Amino acid sequence: MFNNKEDVNVSVKDAETIIGPSIKIKGNFHGQGNMIIEGIVEGSVKTMNRLLIRDKAKITASIEAKEVRVGGEVQGHIKVGGYLEITSTAKIFGDIETSEISIERGAIINGKINMIKEVKNSEKKQ
Amino acid sequence: MNIYIYDSYVGHKKYQSKIAKIETRITDLGLNGKIIRLGVMSSIYNSIEGEVQKGAKNIIIVGNNNLFAQAINSVAKLKSLHTTVGDIPLGLIPIGKKYNSIAEYLGIDYEENACDIIAARRIKELDLGMINKYYFLTQATIPTKETIIEIDKNYSINITEPGEIIIVNLPMGIELPNEIKANAQDGTLELFIKTKKLNKLLLNKNKENKSVFSFKELQITNPKYPVIIDNSLKINTPVIIKIAKEKINLIVGKGRNF
Repeated sequence: MFNNKEDVNVSVKDAETIIGPSIKIKGNFHGQGNMIIEGIVEGSVKTMNRLLIRDKAKITASIEAKEVRVGGEVQGHIKVGGYLEITSTAKIFGDIETSEISIERGAIINGKINMIKEVKNSEKKQ
Repeated sequence: MNIYIYDSYVGHKKYQSKIAKIETRITDLGLNGKIIRLGVMSSIYNSIEGEVQKGAKNIIIVGNNNLFAQAINSVAKLKSLHTTVGDIPLGLIPIGKKYNSIAEYLGIDYEENACDIIAARRIKELDLGMINKYYFLTQATIPTKETIIEIDKNYSINITEPGEIIIVNLPMGIELPNEIKANAQDGTLELFIKTKKLNKLLLNKNKENKSVFSFKELQITNPKYPVIIDNSLKINTPVIIKIAKEKINLIVGKGRNF
């Protein structure tokens, strides 16, 4: 879904949470819908849907989501069930666990990348 | 029976001809009912409670935002206390344009033209926000300065720029980010934080920063400023804000903004 810029725009047309640049969150931030982070988060971030971490965002937290696009700074473990897109402005200090990944030239990653197999719905039923 | 509750200010001379026209139109449309003229010391809650017990069919406020907000509070409170209170609809005949933004949002025309909207009886069930023991239809606002917000007891929010905090039920007169779809029929409230970085050199070019959170319950504390609900009532903090169990039935116009 995050394969090209057009798709990214489509994915954030309907968001549940927007953390703007003037906001600092402390604690366990868990949601169900799409999230956009442009500010600072300390603690943990979890959503059943998509997470967009914009260029100026600073996150010191563990992250868990269905699909993630990272453009900002993340210090912590990233766990993605589906697709993880890392853009050129991203700085990641922590381990990554995902089933699909793309990394743009210029991105900084300090940590292990562990590729996991995505469990599809049809497999779950069996 | 239709119950018309007149705000005290509509008794002023300058509204006499308007009220006369409204009463004529009400008669023409066959919507006659009982008129209650509120004095400065009258209690709208007691008036509504008495009439509901006598079997009122519609409650119509003749006034502005202020009395309409009080009527919403009274009906919701009655619903919470007495299960026998049905879904009695609340209507509004707005008098004067100055403090009647809620009417505009609900698509209700001013003065005598509002009578036709009452006659059409187009009813919408809307959510209400609850702040301590008060109900609100539209929004609750407070400045960001010295405000502490705690959401669902899981995390806290620190706001680094000056601005305004708005708890949104009915998004009236505010521009939410395009990605957010909020309305008063979705069973949730939104916390909307609007800030602007102060830069004296670029006074008009400062970009507004917007943040939005959905929540079930939040607590607001501010030692200096109160929370203002529906642009009319001030409530001192600390306050707990959540979606109310009670909903309200409002008579709305075709031109409503939702």
